[in-house]
Amino acid sequence: MNDLIRQAIAAEADERVDPRTVMADLHKARKRKPLGMIIGVAALTVAAAAAAVIVPTTIKKTETAPVGASLGQEAQNVLLVGLDDVNLGDALVLARFQADGTAALVSLPRDLLVDGVKINTLFAQDPKKLTAAVEKLTGTKVDHYAAIQMRDVGRIAYLLNVEVCLRAAITDPVSGVPFRAGKTTISGDYAVAFLRQRQGLPNGDLDRIKRHQVFLAGVASQLTKERAVALAHGAAGMIKIDQGWDVLAFAQRFTGPVKISMSTLPVGTPVQNQNGFAYEADPAKSKEFTDKALAGKAADPGDLCVN
Amino acid sequence: MGFDEFVADRLDRLLRYATAIACDKHLAQDIVQNVLMRAQSKWDRIGAMDAPYLYVKRMVTNDYLSWRRRKAAREVAVERSELARHVPSMADPADAHAEREAMRARIAVLPRKQRAALVLRFYEDCSDAEIAQVLGCAESTVRSQLSRALQTLRAHELARSATLGVHS
Repeated sequence: MNDLIRQAIAAEADERVDPRTVMADLHKARKRKPLGMIIGVAALTVAAAAAAVIVPTTIKKTETAPVGASLGQEAQNVLLVGLDDVNLGDALVLARFQADGTAALVSLPRDLLVDGVKINTLFAQDPKKLTAAVEKLTGTKVDHYAAIQMRDVGRIAYLLNVEVCLRAAITDPVSGVPFRAGKTTISGDYAVAFLRQRQGLPNGDLDRIKRHQVFLAGVASQLTKERAVALAHGAAGMIKIDQGWDVLAFAQRFTGPVKISMSTLPVGTPVQNQNGFAYEADPAKSKEFTDKALAGKAADPGDLCVN
Repeated sequence: MGFDEFVADRLDRLLRYATAIACDKHLAQDIVQNVLMRAQSKWDRIGAMDAPYLYVKRMVTNDYLSWRRRKAAREVAVERSELARHVPSMADPADAHAEREAMRARIAVLPRKQRAALVLRFYEDCSDAEIAQVLGCAESTVRSQLSRALQTLRAHELARSATLGVHS
């Protein structure tokens, strides 16, 4: 039977389209890439997603949107997922974007258990599983998701000078990257190390979440229109979004600088199971917290220096 | 290896592979095109790997198995199962071509992941370990996917020869 299977599969494979067609399409796509912002709908979508998702302040007022473009738009909840090399969720942020672009962000610790499963393992299985778990945990509907590889974030950081502030000098035991105390500008590999370091921090992953938040705030404060264009180009192809999402319509709401508020979902008791360390979730408290935080009522973070 | 060189070298094989797992040449074309465009944007990293082809093949497979493609894959399966119903009755059972077409139709209606494992084994000649890498699962899962696929195909094969036996 095995020979028959081989023959059958080979016959199926022979049905392929002419490689020259694909080659021609690839060339076409490549040629219009520099103008992707204007012509390529796909590139535009990704670029808009990048601009909309990474930081909602990218598009300045000078880039005038049609009057009333943001009217009638409803608040949307977007799950932002930062993935490590094996598609585990390194960073999970639930964001609610209001019609005026204002965003409220809640970081979800990746070591949270939902139905006995760590949420950071769910995206690799099926993004829908992750969004379902987040909905269950927070009692908030997830309208869309956008995922990016954390190592690509470093490439975005090359395009910017992101200033962060560290409480104390520290060397990441994993990457070997040393960080100075006080304000420091990071990019590239440094930025990735900054965003990924968990070991050697007093509060482990919770400190790392703080780092993600100050990095995003840093990105927000550094963006100009020119940089946003470079960023959108740089980010094209790095971001994966769900297919049903009309990102172009979504991006219309960002017509000027907007406010971002950030907070971290409180966690329950740390538990140790066969898969290592995790936190119990408290659905009732999580829902209450998320409701408040997404309504923009999170406490002021105050000091923006991190461990 | 540069991106252009890679494409010149591997595009046909990638298209064949994608067509074999997707059982639909247009879906396969769409997947390969998308994947290559994505691969190009990070080619400095992929090109430096030991096995760029394996990585791109993994991207193609993931893309096909992703939930975005679920609907398209289901439509193909429905269409194929319609076809499968007609193939045995229309063809001469002694005909090797008919045998092969019947098998093709049966493979086309296997669950997506089982078919991917089957193609990797019987078309790409991958080891369990390589299949596990491409599918992003454990080797034990690869073995169970393959044995389930073979079991289904064998059951059909037996049923078919039994039916043909009665008629001849």
